[in-house]
This record gives sequence, C-alpha cells and structure tokens, in this order.
Amino acid sequence: MPGALIDVSDVSKRFGTVDALSNLSVDLAPGFIGLVGPNGSGKTTLIRLLLGLLKPDAGTLTVLGHDSQRDPLDVRSQVGYMPEHDCLSPDMTGIGFVSHMGRVSGLPKEVAIGRAHDVLEFLGLAEERYRKIREYSVGMRQRVKLAQAIVHDPPLCFLDEPTAGLDPAGREEMLNLLRALGRLPNHSFVLSTHLLPDADGLCDQVLMLNAGRRIASGSVRELLASHEGESVIRIKGDTDRFVAGLTRRGLSPKRMDGEIRVGLSPETTHAVFESAMEAGVQVRYLGRSVATIEGLFMARVEQPEKGGSE
Amino acid sequence: MSISAPRYAAGTVVRTGRGSRILAIASREFFRRARAATLLSVSLTFFVVVTVIVVTVFFASLLGTANAGDFETVYESPVWPFLMLIVAASAGAGSLADDVGDRSISLYLSRPVHLVDYVAAKTVACGGWLLISTVGPGLTGVAVTAALGYASASVLLAAIAGFVATGFVAAVFFTGLALGLSSLTNRALYSGVAIFGVVLVLYIGGSIVAGITGNIYVPYANPIENIRSVAHGAFGLSGTTATEPAASAVTLVGAGVVLWVFALWRMRRVEVISE
Repeated sequence: MPGALIDVSDVSKRFGTVDALSNLSVDLAPGFIGLVGPNGSGKTTLIRLLLGLLKPDAGTLTVLGHDSQRDPLDVRSQVGYMPEHDCLSPDMTGIGFVSHMGRVSGLPKEVAIGRAHDVLEFLGLAEERYRKIREYSVGMRQRVKLAQAIVHDPPLCFLDEPTAGLDPAGREEMLNLLRALGRLPNHSFVLSTHLLPDADGLCDQVLMLNAGRRIASGSVRELLASHEGESVIRIKGDTDRFVAGLTRRGLSPKRMDGEIRVGLSPETTHAVFESAMEAGVQVRYLGRSVATIEGLFMARVEQPEKGGSE
Repeated sequence: MSISAPRYAAGTVVRTGRGSRILAIASREFFRRARAATLLSVSLTFFVVVTVIVVTVFFASLLGTANAGDFETVYESPVWPFLMLIVAASAGAGSLADDVGDRSISLYLSRPVHLVDYVAAKTVACGGWLLISTVGPGLTGVAVTAALGYASASVLLAAIAGFVATGFVAAVFFTGLALGLSSLTNRALYSGVAIFGVVLVLYIGGSIVAGITGNIYVPYANPIENIRSVAHGAFGLSGTTATEPAASAVTLVGAGVVLWVFALWRMRRVEVISE
C-alpha cells in the first residue's frame, strides 16, 4: 500500500520445526500501533524482520518505504528500538549511554549530548543522569532504554514490552510517557506487548498475532465497534443449572471469574430470566461488558475465521 | 515528573557518516578499557621495556659497541610476551564478550551499523591499546637513550624501524587472538583466561613437540618464537633463529587476520534479540 508506514507481504519465518510467522500480510498506517499477542506469538520475530536482523523464508517487508532486507541501514537510520530484555552497559552513566547511542545513530557529538540531556529530562531522569546505570532501579533502566530509542528523534520507534518488570505505579508512569510521545506529530510507535490492557487507550491501530498468524488488524476504534460486546451476568444460586438453561435456549454462555458472559440481543434477553426462574437463581447483575482489546483478542482467538479486517 | 513534548523533537539534524559512527563505537570502547588493569599493565610494559633498553644500551655504549641489536634484547626475555598477554587480556578479552554478556550488542546492531563496522570498531580500540603497548615502550626507550646520548642517530633509526615492525606484527596477532577468543563467550574472564591458555599451550607444547620431533615447521605454531624471530630480523641481527623472520611475520599476521574473520563469523551467529 503506497504511503504505508509498514508493509508486510506474505511473510513466513520458521525456526526449525516452529512456524514463527505464517503468511503474514498487513499494512499499517502512521500512528500508535499495538502489536499484541501472547508470548511466542511472533511479535519479536516480526520486529527482528522489520529491522533487517533476520531474513524471512518468504515474503517482503517495507518500513518507511525501504525494503528491510535490501536496505536495512536505511531502515535502521530512521527507526528507534527499545528491546524487551536488559541491554544497558552497567558501567556507563545514563547520560553517557544515551548520548553514545545517539552518536552511533548518526548524531554529531554535541547534538547527541544535548538531545540526551533533553530526553532524559523529559523521561524524568534529570537528577539521576550522572549515576552509573548499575545503580538504577528497574523503572529507571526501562526509561533509559526508552531514552536511547528516541534520542535520535526517529519517525518510527519499536517498543518491545516497555512495561515489562515494572510495578503498577511504574507501569502507569511508562504508559503516561508513551501517551505523551504518541502526541508528537509525525512520530509513529509500534508497541509490542502481551499485556493487552497496555494497548488500550494508547494505540489507534492494532495487529493481533497468535501462533505466528494474524488474527486481526486495523483501526482499534473500528475493530472494537465491530466486536459484539458480551453481556455479563452475576447470579446467586446453582450456576450449573442456570448455564445449562441458557445453553438449551441456544445461547453460548462462558464462565469467567465467577461471572457468566454471554452474547445477548434484545430478542434473547428474556432467555436469561427464563433460565433463572427455571434454575431458581437470583440475577444480581446483568449488563454490557466494556469492549476492550483484550476482549477482542480473546474473541478472535476463539473465532479466528472472523479475523482480518483491513 | 512533568510530561511535555521534548524539545529535541524540533528541527532536523544532518546525520554523520559511516566512519563517524564506527569512530564513536571505537572511541567509547577504547576509553571503556582504560581501567586499572589495562592502565597498570600498559604502564608496567613501558617501565620494563624502557628500563631494559636504557640499561642494555648504556652498558653497550660504555664498551663503544652500541648497535640496533642491543635494543632487541627486550624480546629475548619471556617477560615481554607475558606483559603482552596481560595487556591483550585486560584490553581485549571483553571487547565482544561484554556486549554480548550485557546484550547491548542488540542496540548497536539495531542502529545503522553493519556487523563488520561494529567488529572493526572493536578492533580499532583493542588494537590501539596493543599498538600503544607493543610500539610505544620501544619508541620511548629509543627517545630516552637518544636524550642520554647512548647511541648514534643511525642506530636509533634502525631501532625505531625494528620496534615499529615487530610491534605492528605482534599487535595484529594479539588483537586477532583477543577478539577471536572474546567472540566465543559472554564472560570476559573466560576469554582472558583463554588468551593466556592458548599462547602458553602453544609456547610450551610447541617447544616440546619441536624438541621431540625435530620438525622445522613446528616452531611456527609458537607465537612467542615467531615474535622473537620477527624481532631478530627487524633489528638486523645476524645468526639463525628457529623460524624464518619473514615467514614468522606472515604467520603471525595471517593468524591474526584469520582469528579476526573467525570473530566476525562468530558474531554473525549471535542471537541479537531473543524472544
């Protein structure tokens, strides 16, 4: 697709007997893109392929108009990358490391130092920038990883599990930083995460992977709108009999966390009360669940044939 | 913590070229290695070599026989190779191993940097320290003896040529050795021990096997013997050595290059990003 930020066409990658990616095709427009899926779904493999660090068995990948296999340096000069794993040199200071990575990305020395100061201040590490990285907490190290990824001001940045290992407060801070970065004009981000709630409210597009296959992709708003929200039912009484009653009336109830989730329409709502009367249970709550990326993902995993909106 | 768009996002910057990026990695690596162990071993090398040269040339000058061969004395002792092993281990053992160990290599290779650029930068840094240690002390010794007036200008010039030639060949070999062994592990300690182990095994084993078999090619497997032979030829000494000086120089440079290529091949197999 002309003008696409990322264009992946029929890409397959196999490691031994494992299909890391199978016939993956997707076009992603500029914006904040969620690359979501469970561990081992092929997210990191896709990033490695996009950076030109791996060769696909089949297919082509284009990033910012450059073929990631033919022109990997053109791609890497325009992208930032924040790995999931720890990758910082513990014997360097925060400012030394970030400015060094800026220079390796092609910034002149003085510019790299200036930008390293700016970006560390932006990320809330102004006070700690002269300390050795080995003295940093997990949250500070994550922010240094983010700093080195954006120090050269790339138009596209890959963020691989940026909230990994963070406590709830640290995670929220990191997500706030990402929200702030997402507001920068002409800057796109690919957020790879298995924590699907991280992608909620942050991403305007999403690519969902499961076992190396695309199960959904496109605008988050459109995908959620197309996702039929389930109803949540909480009852007091014999749940088994109640669920059996719903099933007999042609519904597909699921028991999750002490609740019953079922797809209802105005025409089938009466089935809930009929089943409750039949089973002799009290209906304590009946309401619509909020459509989330996580809910959408779970639905698509169970019904993969519905995936693939463009 | 305040959240606002960083100021750096405004404006565009002309990016530096490939050479500047290599230089950035090389200079960072060079100064990273300027730690106590490296500085101590290099200082010790300077002290030992300069002292040996000055004392040797001083006594030769008393007899009025000072010549370029007197400067070569430093290579006859096992102390010099031992010092080079310490420098190679302290300055080169962690060159690649440290980056693989802390996985910062994944950041380098996700930048606009070829793998060969990365290894070349590490080579420049490690080779820089080794060149300082192999050539620097000899040239300093020549300068001191010149200042003290112990030798004539022609002798000093011949000695400079000898130190530069021998030092360059030794630096190539030890740099290749350090990088080759550093690429095999993610722990600098292991590669440091391996640097000593490989050279000592070749030195002792080569001497024993050569003594038993009498094969004239076995001494070429001994890097210390090769360096002595190169020094012998570079300083214009007469007499025979266990190996041919030119052949020894080719052997050392060839081994260094092969080990460098091996390091490059090994790094291509490193998993840059793990799932």
